[in-house]
Amino acid sequence: MSVIEFTLNGRQQRLDVESDTPLLWVIREQLSLTGTKFGCGKGLCGACTVHLDGQPIRSCSFPVSLVAGKRIRTIEGVAPSAEQLHPVQQVWLEGSVPQCGYCQSGQIMAAVALLERNNAPSDADIDSAMSNICRCGTYPRIRTAVKRAGELMQGQGVVGLFDPRAGANGGPDSEQKESQA
Amino acid sequence: MSLSRREFFKGGAAIGGGIAIGLTLTGCGGQTAYPGASASDLRPNAFLQVRPDGVVVFQLPRAEMGQGVYTGLTTVVAEELSMPASAIVVEHAYYHPAFRDAEFGMMMTGGSVSLRNNYTILRQSAANLGEWMRQAAATQLNTDAAGLRVENAAVVSPDGSAIGFAALVETAKTLTAPEDAELKNPADFQQIGKESVRLDALAKVTGTATFGIDCNVPGAVTAVMRRCPHLGGRVKRFDDNAAKAIKGVQDIFEINGAVAVVASGYWPARKAADALEIEWDKGALAGLDEAKLLAHHRELLLEDGRNVAEIGDEKSAIGERVEVEYRVPMLSHSPMEPPNALVSISSDKVEVWTGSQVPDTVIGVVAAAIDCPREQVVVHNQMLGGGFGRRLVPDYIVEAAKIAKQVGKPVKLVWSREDDVQHDYYRPAATALLSATVDNGRVTSFGGKTVVPSIMGRLMPIFAEAAMPEWLPPAIPRSLAGLARHFDTSMTEGLGDTNYRFPYIKIDTVRDETPIPVGFWRSVGHSQNAFFTESFMDELAHKVGQDPVAFRLQHIPEESNRYRVLKMVAEKAQWGQAPAGQFQGVAAHDAFHSSVAQVVNASVKGNAIQVHKVVCAVHCGLAVNPDVVRSQMESAIIFGLTAALKSKITLDDGRVVQSNFHDYTMLKLAETPEIEVHIVPSSEPPTGVGEPGLPPLAPALANAVFAATGQRLRELPLKLA
Repeated sequence: MSVIEFTLNGRQQRLDVESDTPLLWVIREQLSLTGTKFGCGKGLCGACTVHLDGQPIRSCSFPVSLVAGKRIRTIEGVAPSAEQLHPVQQVWLEGSVPQCGYCQSGQIMAAVALLERNNAPSDADIDSAMSNICRCGTYPRIRTAVKRAGELMQGQGVVGLFDPRAGANGGPDSEQKESQA
Repeated sequence: MSLSRREFFKGGAAIGGGIAIGLTLTGCGGQTAYPGASASDLRPNAFLQVRPDGVVVFQLPRAEMGQGVYTGLTTVVAEELSMPASAIVVEHAYYHPAFRDAEFGMMMTGGSVSLRNNYTILRQSAANLGEWMRQAAATQLNTDAAGLRVENAAVVSPDGSAIGFAALVETAKTLTAPEDAELKNPADFQQIGKESVRLDALAKVTGTATFGIDCNVPGAVTAVMRRCPHLGGRVKRFDDNAAKAIKGVQDIFEINGAVAVVASGYWPARKAADALEIEWDKGALAGLDEAKLLAHHRELLLEDGRNVAEIGDEKSAIGERVEVEYRVPMLSHSPMEPPNALVSISSDKVEVWTGSQVPDTVIGVVAAAIDCPREQVVVHNQMLGGGFGRRLVPDYIVEAAKIAKQVGKPVKLVWSREDDVQHDYYRPAATALLSATVDNGRVTSFGGKTVVPSIMGRLMPIFAEAAMPEWLPPAIPRSLAGLARHFDTSMTEGLGDTNYRFPYIKIDTVRDETPIPVGFWRSVGHSQNAFFTESFMDELAHKVGQDPVAFRLQHIPEESNRYRVLKMVAEKAQWGQAPAGQFQGVAAHDAFHSSVAQVVNASVKGNAIQVHKVVCAVHCGLAVNPDVVRSQMESAIIFGLTAALKSKITLDDGRVVQSNFHDYTMLKLAETPEIEVHIVPSSEPPTGVGEPGLPPLAPALANAVFAATGQRLRELPLKLA
């Protein structure tokens, strides 16, 4: 066991964990945030996608020891407030993207990571960034939603390049403010 | 069992301060108490209730697994009550006999029947509730109900004043619940047939939707299992020295022919399971591989089998005989949420948190597995992270119950993806012989013979054991299984019962008595039989030198829905005018009372097949939520594309070769074609949409590949030589 510190959705965490435990199980079982899903355990499907310093990672095969001192963001930390959705969530909702919904947290995290870097992605950008598996086949709606969310984010002036030091990266994320907690 | 509408609606009852509107299946145990209910709970025993605060609660009787029942069925209720669907509180219904499907006799989500079989019941149920509140308002206002209307959970007077449901509940309880209130005129529908956002979307975009795997209770431990990789095999002996040393591991024992590891969380349990050294008894399927399976199917094809359909005169079958063999492999369902269940056993209650398509079967099998009365078992059904038929089989729940009983603590059993791919109840492998006679450019006969296992024969013992009274000896379910095998329509559905017309049609089937676990996979027998039929129809069209659309239209009755969707898809897809470099294929199929036709535009580079566009036309009666219908067509097309281009479960020495998404690959966004869905306008009652979009895809694609290359691919997944 070793003590690991990192921030999760802006809140400082200090945990005593086996260092080889995948981040996914720490998030789901120890920190009780169940929005991030277990799909394959091998980093193949992306249902477990979270952000590490703004980068999408597949937490089912990412040892928790590697997140020490880093900032982790999950689906629970995407919306700017309890009353407001992230633009990606908003268009996902309006487009009725989810079916069973199980993979959608991971899909949204992948989309947010893409759009916070590039809010006018080409089809090729979307093809390569959105590689998560959806067994229900929501792909056509995901493609449409990613484009719409990009337009929305352009209009809101949300985004540009992600700056790991800025924390909130100009986006609706409020990590910086809460990180002292 | 035949029920009049009146009989159906006898069960209106007032309980616990609210009003519950229920439907009782006369003589089918309508008196059964609602599990866990108490008078103060306000928990209903049927579809609808009004809480004392005036909120309308809908007990969703079917599992939401992506197919949209959460939205569709709630919309039906909301329409009759003239209130927004989003204002209704939706709860996953607990088991009650009133929630059994009238056709299947079980509380089951499958067969694409949720809307078809609940549409009228739910409209009537909601209309009765509305009428009850109207009567209550009339009583309170001492006026005639005729001038009052129900709207937004209130009853509105002609002068515009409104009384909310909350203020009417007590009065309503003094009145007799109406049984056959007048239904809304479809011309007045405000919500049915209109576009609306899915009601479960908000929870699903915020990560707050609860699936079985997200459930937890205090003191619960996590279990994983190592099952024999050889299907049907079991553990002989195991060494757990290394496994026991892993921190967090609490218990390791043999159960169900496998080894269970119980630990403080998933990761220590998984690590310990991987550290086990196990010697297996490979079981009856040892030595079985693909070559032997095919050889066995070819032997069976020589048998006469059972005749399923024979139409017309055999003497009409004149001319040149054409005979070809088609094949499909086994397939795993692999829903994104791996099978899992949380079971907590106390002295008088067994609670199960899981996602299941068959909550009443779960009750029966859990009671049998841990030897407790069925009345003690409560199933807390959750959102299903995909079903596709996998969650019709409760094997994973039985495992969890047995482990929970053994360790004496609440246990959450979680399957790995490897467990899922290697221990499914698979879409069976099937082989078929398609034949025809062609005389003078005219097809004079159409024949088909399938070799395939019986799914019902395999699964009936499970369902029957759960459904039969507990005191019946186990021999009864077993004999029912024998009966089911004999009448298993899935072996030829979509082949023997199409509306194609030829002078002579003969359909036969030979049962493959394999012990391989097989199950219901999205669209079941149609998933292979449409591929056989619609590919072979294409072959025949080319054989007689006709256009594949025109040839089909010529052999389908003009008044049929299949004729309509085929005409529509040909027009919408601009049949015959594919963009340069692309080639078109078509297929049209009836399944689950709906008709779907698809045109695929594809191209071929080297040996790679690229799908550019799929145009789909569907007739599904009244589209309650057209957007859900479109999404289900998109879903089935992509599910079908994965199967047509990629998926194959193969056996070697009786074990499944594939194990995870690296070798059981799925279509991804980058490979997804443009999809266009057209719905035939209809005012007929709604029919299925979850499954019927799948069957035409594979043959339409295979036919497009033929158009592109001249190669007739008669095996799935499609592979160019």
